[in-house]
Formats: sequence, C-alpha cells, structure tokens
Amino acid sequence: MWLIRDSIFIGLLQASPLILAAMGFTLIYYLNGFINFAYGESITYGAYFAALFSGAFGLGFYLSIVPAAILAGLLSVGTYLYIFRPALLRGVKPSEMIILSVGLSFMLRYGLVLFVGAENEYLSEPPIAYFNFLGVGATNLQIIALLLVLVFAFNLYWIIYRTEFGEIIRGLANNEELAMASGINPHKVSVKVWFIAGVAGGLSGIFSGVFALVNPLMGWNVILITIMVTIVAGVGSVRGALLASVVAGIITASITLISKPLYAEVVLLTAFILVLWYRGRKVV
Amino acid sequence: MKLRVEHLSKAYHNHPVVNLPQATLGDHGLEGLIGPNGAGKSTLMGLLTRRLSPTTGSIWLEDEEQSHELNALKSYEVARLGLVKTNQRIQGFESLKIRDSLRLAATTHAQETLRGVLDDDPLSEELEEEIDTYLSAFSFADRDGYALSGGEKKLLDILRCLVLKPRLLLMDEPTAGLPEDVTEQVMRLVADKVKAGEMKVVIVEHDLELIWSFCEYVHFLSEGEMLFQGAPEEVKNNRVVAEKYMGV
Amino acid sequence: MSYLIFSMSLLLIYIGLAQLLHIQFGMLGIANFGVVGFWGFGMYGVGVLRVQYDFSFVDALVVTGVLMAGASYVLGRLILRLENQAVLCATIAFSSIVALLTVTEKWLTFGVVGLGTISYPIKIGWATEALYFIFLIVLVVALQFYILKLHKSRLGRLMLAIRDNEELAASLGKDTVRTKLVLFTITCSLMGVLGGLSAPLNQFLTPNMLVPGVTFAVWISLVLGGKEHPLGATIGVFVTFGFFDILIETYAPVSPGLAVMVPNLKLFLYGALLVGVLMFRPSGFLARETKGLFPDKEARP
Repeated sequence: MWLIRDSIFIGLLQASPLILAAMGFTLIYYLNGFINFAYGESITYGAYFAALFSGAFGLGFYLSIVPAAILAGLLSVGTYLYIFRPALLRGVKPSEMIILSVGLSFMLRYGLVLFVGAENEYLSEPPIAYFNFLGVGATNLQIIALLLVLVFAFNLYWIIYRTEFGEIIRGLANNEELAMASGINPHKVSVKVWFIAGVAGGLSGIFSGVFALVNPLMGWNVILITIMVTIVAGVGSVRGALLASVVAGIITASITLISKPLYAEVVLLTAFILVLWYRGRKVV
Repeated sequence: MKLRVEHLSKAYHNHPVVNLPQATLGDHGLEGLIGPNGAGKSTLMGLLTRRLSPTTGSIWLEDEEQSHELNALKSYEVARLGLVKTNQRIQGFESLKIRDSLRLAATTHAQETLRGVLDDDPLSEELEEEIDTYLSAFSFADRDGYALSGGEKKLLDILRCLVLKPRLLLMDEPTAGLPEDVTEQVMRLVADKVKAGEMKVVIVEHDLELIWSFCEYVHFLSEGEMLFQGAPEEVKNNRVVAEKYMGV
Repeated sequence: MSYLIFSMSLLLIYIGLAQLLHIQFGMLGIANFGVVGFWGFGMYGVGVLRVQYDFSFVDALVVTGVLMAGASYVLGRLILRLENQAVLCATIAFSSIVALLTVTEKWLTFGVVGLGTISYPIKIGWATEALYFIFLIVLVVALQFYILKLHKSRLGRLMLAIRDNEELAASLGKDTVRTKLVLFTITCSLMGVLGGLSAPLNQFLTPNMLVPGVTFAVWISLVLGGKEHPLGATIGVFVTFGFFDILIETYAPVSPGLAVMVPNLKLFLYGALLVGVLMFRPSGFLARETKGLFPDKEARP
C-alpha cells in the first residue's frame, strides 16, 4: 500500500518537468506532423537561460523563471522560422524532417558546449523548505513545480479545447487546406504554437535543472522519454500527453522504489516498443 | 477466377452504404459496374480491394479448385492468387524507370533472393519482349526514362498489372487521368486478353460509353443494392435503370 | 604509425556501418536510428564472451552475430510494419536499452568500471594490427562490391520499390514485410559483427562508448555522401570521419587546452553540415544517378 501511495506522489513530483515537456512537444507534433528532436534544446537552453539570469544577473531563482522561459520560447520560434518552415516549404519528407531536427539539435547542443563548456552547472536555489505533503516528504520547489504544471496544463487545456485559437489549431492540424480556405494564416498560428511549446520546454528545463543539475545533455536525455510519452498518448492529444506523462512518472517512480532507476528506464523503453507494436499505424 | 460476396454490407453511422445479400463478379469476362453517384460503387470497390473492411458478411475469392476469404489474406497473397487491381489514384515507384517498374512486376519472388544478387542472369527473353511490345505500343515521352506526366503514371499502373498476368483484374476508374485515345487503346488491349481467355475483368467507371462499347455484362448498383444485372443492351433498355440513372 | 592504423581501422568500421545503413535506409527506407545499439551489442558481446567465458575470437564473433540476428529479428517483427517515425523511435529505444544494460549488468560487463582487455584474434608481434587492418579492408571492399551488385539486381529493384511505395509493391504480389525483415535481420547482425570486430581495436570497453554520437556520425556520413548512391556511404565516411577525426584531430596544430574542445566542435559542425545538406542538397554529395564523382544536374522528375 505504501508502495502505491509513494509511487503516485513521488511520480507526480518527479514527473512535473516531464509533463511540461510532453505537453509542449505534443503541440508541435500535432500541428506540423513531425518529431522534433531539437525540442530537447528548448529544455536545455531554458535551464541555461535561468542559470544566466539567476547567477550572472543576480535575479534569483524565482525572478529568472519568466525571462528564461520567454527566451526559450523565442529560440523555439527561431528554429521554426529559419530552419523548419523553410524545409517544410521545400517539401522535405517527414522522415527527413526528423533527421534535420536531429542535426539541428546536435548543432545547438554542441554550440552551447563550445560557449559554456561541458561541465555541470547548478542553479542557485532558493531556500529549501521541507513539507510533509500527504505523508510524503516534498520540498517547496517540488510543490511549486507541481502547481506550475497544474496551472500550465489547465491553461493549455483551456486554450486547445475551449478557445477560438485552439479551434484554429485543431482545424489546421486536421485539414490544413480547409483551414486556409476559411482565411486562417497557418504561419501566424505556427509561430504562436512554437512559442508556447518553447516556453513549456524552457520551464521543464528550469525545473529539472533546479531539482538536479544543468548540463548540455539534459535535453537530449529527456527528449526520448518525452517522445515516447507523446506517442503513447496518441498524436496530438494534449489530454493524452498529460495523462501519459503522469503515468510514465508513476511507473518510473514505482520501479525505482523497488529496484534501480536504470532498470526503470529499461522497462519503460521496452514497454514503449511494445506499445508502438500494439497500436502503431501499420503500413501494409 | 471470381469474387463472390455473401451478405456483404458496409454501414457508416448505422446508415448502410452497401448491402448485397448475394452477388458474383468475374463470371462473364469483361464486366462493368455502374450506378449513379452515391450508389456505393466506390465503397464496394473499397471492399473488394480491401481498403475498407465490411461491417458484416464476407467476400470469397474463388476458382474451380479453391476458395479463400478475401479479408483473411495478406495483400501479396491476393496478388499471387491472381486478383490484381489498377488504382484510381495515381500511384507509382518514383525511383524506378518505366522499364524497371514493369520488370519488377514481371519478376517472381523466387527470383528476388540475396543469392541472386551475385549472378546477373537477366529476365527471360520472353518477358523482355512482352515488355518491349507494351512500350512500343504506347507512346511514352521518355521510354527509357521515368513516367513523367500523371497520364503516363496511370498508364504504367495499368501496364504493371497486365504484366503480372492476373486471372481477375479490377479496374478502378481507368479513364480518370488518361487521355481518351489512350483509354481506347488500353481497353482494346484488355478486351483482347479477355477474349483470348487470359483473364477476367471488372471495371468501375463513370464513362458509360466505354462500358457500353467494351463490357459483356453490366452490374447496376443503386442505393447500395444490385438493382439489375445483364447484358449491356438489357441494362440500357431497362426502365428502372433509365429512371435511376439516365434521368429519362 | 600504430595510432594511424588504429584510426584507419576505425574508419573502416564506420564505412561498414554506413554501408549497412545505406542498405537499410537508402535502399529499403528503414530509418534505423539505433546504429550504436547494434554496434555496441556486438562489441560488448564479443568482449564479454572473450573476457568472461574465454571464447576464441571467431567463436565469440559467430555467437554474437547469431544473438544479434535473433534480437534484430524479434525487434523487426515488432516494428517493421509500422510507419517510419515509429521505426525511428523504436530503434533509438532499442539502442538506449542496450546502453543501459551495459551499465546495469555488472556481472557481465563490469558496468562503468569497464571491460578489458580484449585481445586480437592472432598475435604476430608488430604485424598484428596491420594484418587486422588488411582484413577489415577486405571485408569492407567485399561489402561495397555486394552493394554495387545489389543496386543492379532484382532484389535491389524490389527494395527501391518497397521504399517508394510499400503498399503498391505488396499489391503486386511482393511479400514486403518478409523482405524487410530478412534484410533488417541480416544487416543488423552485420552491424553487430562490425561491433565485435571493433572490440579488439578499442581493447577496453566502457558504457560511455555507446553514445548517440556514434549513430549520428554514421547518419551524417550517409546523408552527406548521398544516401541513395551505392558509393555514398563510403565517400561520406571519408569526408566526415576521415577529415575531422583523423586529419584534424591527429594533425592539426591545436594547443592542449583547445584540444578538448575539438570533439565538441566536430559534433557542432556535423550538426550544421547535416542541416545544410538536408536544406540545400537533400540528395547529398552523390545523387542517386551520379556517374563518376560529380553530381549531375539531371535529376528525376
């Protein structure tokens, strides 16, 4: 019984950065239809921007969250405007778009390494307080991250399912020609979506950075699990991405509690391949 | 070889689009399947080519000796048994030249082995000649290159199917995208092969002139049901058909 | 001198991997993004069998190849009917699993401590490495020869057809899934064998050799050289690995302080190069129908 309770809470607390990343990633996948590995760099850069603002500019952790997240969003928009959109217009196929995104991801990641070095950085933490949160120990930061996830998830959900903008996004994803015929400018919508996604990625990076450490590989290390979560959730379902990342967090936490963390990853990855096999779209 | 359907139906949102208690296609040589728009022709074709799965009932692919449930077979097994379809939508292999595309169809799977990579024995002369006949009979802009226009791709799609030597050929709107004279030429070729007893053909087509001039037997579909079947003359002169279709 | 032979041997291994990826992706359209997993499986397979179980090198290589074929077959059964994006994700997942297991299964691999020393199959003093190098040349040339033949063969034609339009190929009576499964199993198993052959080159194996950078280097070579051209993989590896890893890392005069940044600069440039190629010349250096070494302008419609 303690196992179930602890798994759920630890899973939720640990999964909050993943939930943010999965929601952002799924937006781009939903709208543009390709897997964007460079999204991992939104996560990494978000964390580094936060390190920059809180450390070098002395803004402190809480104040640095906002500008760092905005910059991560702008970076995401930049990759869309200067790389992905031109490539889409040139008719690059989906499987090659993925390779392109991997190339961009390496470029951004190792460009960063050239700038700041490969060493680990630590975000200057605000004072940590421990709470007994429904029987599980949690820090104030973890609780804030969880609240932020809830706020972000709620807003995103609201935008996608309850606003005109969300309707436009869904329209574009389902039938671009039809949406364009009714006067929607897909370009403007995409810029906004890539911004929102970048902000979500940045926030995810900031919080995983403050929970552990910041290094140039952090985005790459979570992008695979983010992609898994998104695909398992079903393409383009914001609700699904939310649910699947929570489930992935809980599963990871419960396996970690009874064995080693690396085994949790092995089990998750194996489960991922099996899920793909079970419900992937078959070509023949 | 023929297709026999039993209690076949396809419904969307509980609204039946096709409902055929009993029908046989491929018994008469060159057959046409016609009907007004919305009669369920393309749905039926979708069921026969397995793009759609039936709501109820089954389709049987039969010859004198054996009978297979169509939906239990894999795509390649259907083709190997002798049921082949031409595509309505333009399809092709963009990196194969016209000749290679036909050679691909003519090659059996036993020849496509890893070991065969090392010995380069060509396709049998007989088959190369057959391919040559096709290529000289039709005018491609670049016979030794790639199919360029949509029309050429469509023609190549049909020729690929003929090279396969099917026992029953389903033609899904062969005229769509083909110039009139080429359609005429293709249909004459197909009719000759049917006369020679090489294969049976079922055509789904809007172009009634083509149906009347080539088909030996016509199935008239209306509101998802087989309203009338018979020789072209009988169908043409049938009062119900005329009312439903030709607006007379 | 012996360092040059080591680098050149590694270059040959990369050429082999890129050639196999050319068969998988360039000809058959299977986006295998887990190259490092298959290579690493083979390398650790031979390492473990040699060090822990005292197998002879040839036995270890054969057993590893067979195990790799088995694992690839199972993986192929699961994923080869799926669309490309799913294949790509599943193969990455596979390679991550392999990399994680080399860390966790300490009883086999000694985990992060490292596994060693893996010796060469034969020992004849100074000539050992040179002979091994010549053996690798023979192997890679044979593979290249087979690929050139494959492009002119009936099987090759079928592979291109499957890549272009699998559904249509199946409707013409081609058992596309079986073709893909057989070729995927064989080529992955050969990637494992190449991994096994890298084991004595590296001598001491650690899990951090199994990084995505390996997969990425093979991909960039293939895409840069020309993924659809039979010589593309080989040319690509010469340009990337040959130029960056051998020429620059070995001979460029950089101060020791900067030298640690060279690998990062390399990966940055690989990334930039890949982006540039895909955006401005997607067919790579050698387009599919290039005769000779210079791309011709006449592309397919």
